[in-house]
Amino acid sequence: MAGSTLEKLTTGMQEAASETSSRSPQAHRPEHLAAIHCENLSVFYGAQQALFNISMDIPRHRVTSFIGPSGCGKSTLLRSFNRMNDVIENVRLEGKVLIEGENIYEPGTHLPTLRKNVGMVFQKSNPFPMSVRDNILFGPRRQGVKNRALLEQIIEDSLRRADLWNEVKDRLHTSALDLSGGQQQRLCIARALANSPRILLMDEPASALDPISTAKIEETIYELKDEYTVVIVTHNLQQAARCSDITAFLYLGKLIEMNETAKVFRNPSNKQTEDYVSGRFG
Amino acid sequence: MVDTRSASGGDAAEARTLRAASRPSGEGAPYIWTTSLAVVLVLVMLVGIVVLILVNGLRTFWPSPLVEVLLRDGTRYLGEVHAQEAKPQAQRTGRAGAPAEYRTKLKIGNRDLGAADFVWIDNASIKAQRPPSDALVFERLEYGNFYGRLKEVRAGERPVAGGGEEGIATLRRFHRTAAGKRQKLDDLRREQLNIRQPLTNLEREISALRGSRFAVSEEGAAELRRLEPQLGPLQNQLNEKVRPLVVEQERLRRDLEGLRVVMETANGKIASIALADIVRVTQPNTMGMHHKVLHYLGKLIEFIWQQPRESNTEGGVFPAIFGTVLLVFLMTIAVVPFGVVAAVYMHEYARQGRLLRIVRVAVNNLAGVPSIVIGMFGLAFFVYGVGGTIDQLYYSRYLPTPTFGTGGILWASLTLALLTLPVVIVASQEGLAAVPQAYREASLALGTTKWQTIHRVVLPNATPGILTGIILAISRASGEVAPLMITGVVKLAPSLAIDGSWPFLHLDRKFMHLGFHIYDVAMQSPNVEAAMPMVYSTTALLLLLVLALNSVATIVRGKLRQRYAGSKL
Ligand SMILES: Nc1ncnc2c1ncn2[C@@H]1O[C@H](COP(=O)(O)OP(=O)(O)OP(=O)(O)O)[C@@H](O)[C@H]1O
Ligand SMILES: [Mg+2]
Repeated sequence: MAGSTLEKLTTGMQEAASETSSRSPQAHRPEHLAAIHCENLSVFYGAQQALFNISMDIPRHRVTSFIGPSGCGKSTLLRSFNRMNDVIENVRLEGKVLIEGENIYEPGTHLPTLRKNVGMVFQKSNPFPMSVRDNILFGPRRQGVKNRALLEQIIEDSLRRADLWNEVKDRLHTSALDLSGGQQQRLCIARALANSPRILLMDEPASALDPISTAKIEETIYELKDEYTVVIVTHNLQQAARCSDITAFLYLGKLIEMNETAKVFRNPSNKQTEDYVSGRFG
Repeated sequence: MVDTRSASGGDAAEARTLRAASRPSGEGAPYIWTTSLAVVLVLVMLVGIVVLILVNGLRTFWPSPLVEVLLRDGTRYLGEVHAQEAKPQAQRTGRAGAPAEYRTKLKIGNRDLGAADFVWIDNASIKAQRPPSDALVFERLEYGNFYGRLKEVRAGERPVAGGGEEGIATLRRFHRTAAGKRQKLDDLRREQLNIRQPLTNLEREISALRGSRFAVSEEGAAELRRLEPQLGPLQNQLNEKVRPLVVEQERLRRDLEGLRVVMETANGKIASIALADIVRVTQPNTMGMHHKVLHYLGKLIEFIWQQPRESNTEGGVFPAIFGTVLLVFLMTIAVVPFGVVAAVYMHEYARQGRLLRIVRVAVNNLAGVPSIVIGMFGLAFFVYGVGGTIDQLYYSRYLPTPTFGTGGILWASLTLALLTLPVVIVASQEGLAAVPQAYREASLALGTTKWQTIHRVVLPNATPGILTGIILAISRASGEVAPLMITGVVKLAPSLAIDGSWPFLHLDRKFMHLGFHIYDVAMQSPNVEAAMPMVYSTTALLLLLVLALNSVATIVRGKLRQRYAGSKL
């Protein structure tokens, strides 16, 4: 594919950023292409190897979950999908990661565009010390959206999708740090959604939350898949079973098994997977 | 002493152990005592020095009562008691072990009548002393204070009042008239100078050219030939213009010459003093509280807003305040962007490796370089290097007379900026390090560029740290004197660095500074004893100024901290 990765990646934001994007008309994007495709992906922290030859396809408009014991490389794998590993010093990566068919590790990849299209929600909620409103608009503003009506629209849309609108619609100008932990995490989801990403990566988004907030976030995740491709890392097996379509089990940096969630949990083909999902492990 | 080891088991025993440990009698008591003693000592010294300076500095302006002392030998003194102390052993007359003998330090002024400002009087030789209600103090433009009694007020050649209460009232009235006329005279003089400004400029230009190397060249000689003939006509023209002013001034001066007061000193000497030379008339022994407070405020305002008099030992310190504040301001403007940018590069962009560690250590050590060394560097680099080059390029026609190639407020503030740069860099780096990595990641993950992240997230959250750096820099810079002494501070600057003449901000000018003022008045003034109160007041003022500058920065930082309080999670 010719070097117009960016154009293809950005088509999804057209409706949100139409005023700034003078980009090419919707490029041909074959439906059978996986949202994320990686091939022989190995990641090293200095001399230590964290991922070993991972190859997988993550389908579009589905929720895929990564499970596995602590330290097995789930976060590392997730972060290599939007190149957030680049932030860490001494990280080396081998293999390929194709997002909608484009290798994002090719030289010349525009990182801001990639990260705008592949949004991320972190394990610890990390709202900026600004108002709720400024948090939501942080991405769009940096992307150059200026139209006031459009910005208002973005705020409401993304907060509704993150199931937070009703709780904060009257306090958009208060500091985000005054929200509860669960609200803060949903704000972070809304903030990621405000960028109109095509893919949303979530690293244990509910790990620090109470059951009610967790349920709300799970609901949110399930609804999101109509419009987004969602990848979620979780330690909570019920959560993976409840809200994901596909589950991948990682162990010691290797991909052990990846299949429909129902199959992974009821009828795993691998002994290690079976041990892990039945709780006889680690 | 409680043996803490024997206390075992049970809550009560444990509580006893705790109590014993927190009491000085517990184990390790000597350490607790010595360490706390050290803290107390430090506090006592700090508080002591501040109180000493503030009390002495702020007391200066309070009117002190006058005493008249009659000695056994018949000598009389009139003045203010400055000190009472036990006589040094060597000067005592009595046997060893006899009760201490005291002596008194009296400020008697009247420097122009040949007396020293101060005398020491042996208390034993005093026959009588009393607070005379009719004694007056004059603060004068020259020769310090005058102490004496009113004999006569004269206007023109004739006396208008004698002594007594009535005379003093007349004196005050005529003094106000004289002060008004003197003010008028000053205004006229200033106006005259303004009118003659073009002539002064031309003269300066010509004399600068005459002394320069440029004048030797063909071009320079031609320039001189062009300018010199303009001098005569301009002179005539301006003289014509100022003639009425000159006449008016002459008349005022004659008037003022006739307004005099005749005084009698304690010893019966007669002195005639021009009212125009008197700044302030006080009759301290009859002043009520109300008048004393007014007197105090008047002196305080004079101190803060007026020019210095009598080689800086009297009057105000306004030019020094102005110079200090402007210096610190310019220093801040120079050091902050530079230091912050350096810190951002080192913390956000540079590869964290050995080289960077070395640079960090170097920057930290730079903070320990003695200020005089930085001053010498400033002299060599800014004054001679940069200033010399500017002169070569833009002011070469006046060389060898330097324009920027000599000390000035710009070079002094840049030298101070250099001095405080490490502090700002280190504090800013700490500020940057305190910004949670999660904010950076959140921002980058939202598709911002590195610069957007720094600009929108990192720097705003690092401002408290950066402000700490600025506070430290201001504290350090406002107290520094050594580097200034070789980069442009002077004891008396003819004009402020900001004034009404184009281009309004004159960065090449010399300036005055409170720190240097203290040094100058304390160590270099002709009459150190008489200057002491001024030293205290100036020190107190510098202290308060530094405190004020710091408080402002601290308050701003507090406000920002509130705004960027860390995440709850
Ligand atoms: N910044 C880093 N520097 C060095 N090693 C790292 C770094 N981050 C992760 N690792 C190592 O890489 C391996 C995988 O880490 P990763 O964070 O991906 O695990 P994880 O599956 O997300 O674990 P958890 O479930 O506890 O979050 C671990 O062995 C870890 O020690
Ligand atoms: Mg993880």
